[in-house]
Amino acid sequence: MADETLDSLGAAGDLFIEMEAAQFTKTGQAACGDDVRFLTVEMENRHLVALSDGLGSGVKANVLATMTTAMAIEFLKSNIPTLEAVEIIMDSLPVCEVRKIGYATFSLFDFRLGGKARISEMGNPGYIHLRGVDEVPPHKEWQIVSEHWPDREVRECEADFRSGDRIIMCSDGVTQSGLGVRKDMKFGWRRSGVLEFARERIAREPDVSARDLSLAIARQALNITPGACKDDISCAVVYLRRPRVMRVLTGPPYYKEHDADYARQALLGPEHVVACGGTTANILERELGVPVKVRLADMKTAGGLPPVGTIDGIGIATEGILTLGRVLSALEQMRPPEKEPAAARAILERMMRHDRIEFVIGTKVNESHQDPNIPQDLELRRSVVKRIAAALEKNYRKKTALNYY
Amino acid sequence: MDKVKVEICCGTACYLLGAANMMNIEDQLPAEWRGKVEVEAKTCLELCEKENLGGAPYVRINGSEIMAQATPEKLLTRIGELVEGVA
Repeated sequence: MADETLDSLGAAGDLFIEMEAAQFTKTGQAACGDDVRFLTVEMENRHLVALSDGLGSGVKANVLATMTTAMAIEFLKSNIPTLEAVEIIMDSLPVCEVRKIGYATFSLFDFRLGGKARISEMGNPGYIHLRGVDEVPPHKEWQIVSEHWPDREVRECEADFRSGDRIIMCSDGVTQSGLGVRKDMKFGWRRSGVLEFARERIAREPDVSARDLSLAIARQALNITPGACKDDISCAVVYLRRPRVMRVLTGPPYYKEHDADYARQALLGPEHVVACGGTTANILERELGVPVKVRLADMKTAGGLPPVGTIDGIGIATEGILTLGRVLSALEQMRPPEKEPAAARAILERMMRHDRIEFVIGTKVNESHQDPNIPQDLELRRSVVKRIAAALEKNYRKKTALNYY
Repeated sequence: MDKVKVEICCGTACYLLGAANMMNIEDQLPAEWRGKVEVEAKTCLELCEKENLGGAPYVRINGSEIMAQATPEKLLTRIGELVEGVA
């Protein structure tokens, strides 16, 4: 469907724009001197990205970069002309006492319904637009120069952004990685190196997510100069594609006669289904005739939550409310999945890999959870799931849906 | 002799009321019992909602015997009886 533009998103609403970034902070600094910000303007079906690299490094650079992205994204959203926006940003940045200038680079990406994207760049490495492994040049390009700041040239481009396309934007910590350190990279990794790396990765894994690709590029930049991160590294990737859907089934239906219908919601493919709750897993086992298995090794390494099981051909099974509670706190506090107990990690990692997360919630209350001997409060499944959905939307830009049984 | 089959319920109530302490029960078996016992985790035995069974955590032994308010000690004792053929 390479020729599908966002016109069809408007009609069918079945495309998803994934926006992700990966960053590494310069060794020895308390804060990253780059900042990346995303904003979705639902009403206009617009998706905005701002990436900025503040002058210098550490907290001072972080302030410059953060001010720049914060202002830029608001100006973009409000349709302030680029020239005016740039002048306001430049005039407001604090001036460095050492260098006597106030400066932060930026790359802005503004993607609208209809498949048109506008990219504005100042001082950052040029963006990369890939359709599969092919680089797509902008169909229009021009320069803007401010009278106040004649040496700060802004490059503006217009591009057609279609289903399957990716945009990669980096700070110079990525393209200049290796500079002056690696003899084989006299000028660093360069934009051409990033381009080649991204193409190879996409050739190997054609539907690699924005999350994985941004992380792979940032990691590669970091690994070019082993031992220390020489400059702040930031890579943002935008990927337009059909949404990856996963389903979380949790809790038995209120009416037992709905069990069969409920269980059928799990027929989405083994990579995409989580049964959250002992009774839930049992319903799937019974209605779909597939065994739930928990490996003994997983019992011992569960790390504070009941172990993860597998349901042949369906997906994974976990305990319900404790696991969901842990997932909720990780999502609300934006903790990385790697450090969570196995069951929460399995769910979180799946959520990160998918764009649309559908919850199928059985509303029957488990009376045994009200046992006064239970040493902790158990929240109601419905309210925990609602908060999980809210956190996924707010903190991770996921789409969610809740269906009750 | 058939292996003694032990199924530990890992549902929320059982887990919180003590099943968590039985996740590594296999490691607690004396060496001479190893190979004679099969331990499995079950997502939920659905016993906690039934009345008069004695209370969670539940363990099912050999498919039909229900142990209520199970503890590692109680479970090991019972496994021992079955392995040694005393009961």
